[in-house]
Amino acid sequence: MTDTMEILAKAAFAFYALIICGGSIMAVGSAGLVRSLVGLIAVMIALAGMYLLLAAPFIAFMQILIYVGGVSVLIFFAIMLTRASPDGDEAQGRSFRKGFHAVFALLIPAGVLSVIIIRNPEKGLAVPVELKTAVLGKGMLGAYLLPFEMISVILFVAMAGAVLAVWQKRGKP
Amino acid sequence: MSALALFQLVALFLLVVGLFGLIWRKTLVGMLISLELMVNGAGLSIVAAAQLTPGDAVMGQLSTLFVMGLAAAEATLILAIVLVVFKRFNGTRTEDVSRLRG
Repeated sequence: MTDTMEILAKAAFAFYALIICGGSIMAVGSAGLVRSLVGLIAVMIALAGMYLLLAAPFIAFMQILIYVGGVSVLIFFAIMLTRASPDGDEAQGRSFRKGFHAVFALLIPAGVLSVIIIRNPEKGLAVPVELKTAVLGKGMLGAYLLPFEMISVILFVAMAGAVLAVWQKRGKP
Repeated sequence: MSALALFQLVALFLLVVGLFGLIWRKTLVGMLISLELMVNGAGLSIVAAAQLTPGDAVMGQLSTLFVMGLAAAEATLILAIVLVVFKRFNGTRTEDVSRLRG
């Protein structure tokens, strides 16, 4: 019984990892911004699946609610309002120097951090910690009350700042 | 390889792809998409570390929630900045915006 569960968990992990790889390459590489947004949304949904595998269903639900429901709509607004077209700025060629810099920025953290992760095998737990959502709620209202109050303040300041930034005075073009 | 290392490698993949895109992209919206990839990788790394080690799981899950709230605030602000830049420069190419005048 536990063997089949483990194989199923590994298959689910491989499936989500595959979607994350494909989606992130699509998000970074495609010339059309809408297409790259679709890749980003695929990555976000696969990450929600990963959170379910880690026995964190509340975080998975929040991932879908905040990222897929909120942030991706905001990015879509940004794409539409700047009238980005598939053969626009992103489709034009890049200088060799830019590509070199980008690959350099990819390789250095990839090399250093992957060597650290692989060379220092942290055993970890085989089965993720099961946590009731009620415990999370108690934490939010108890020990971690201040950070969550600060989030609401930060969200308010961000909204006010956004409105202020695009404010247009009367009479000005 | 332990499960924790596998999850951390996926998170690392998201980080490096996001870094690549941040430099490769030419418009601000493309850079925003790469940034979201990196933030998502950070969230996965935090939750994996919280759930697969004996550390405090409540703190780990709540800090991912904190990261999500910050990402939402940041996306709002970036949308406003992109709109202002688009109005003033008639486009969101990073080359146009990177020159100082004064």
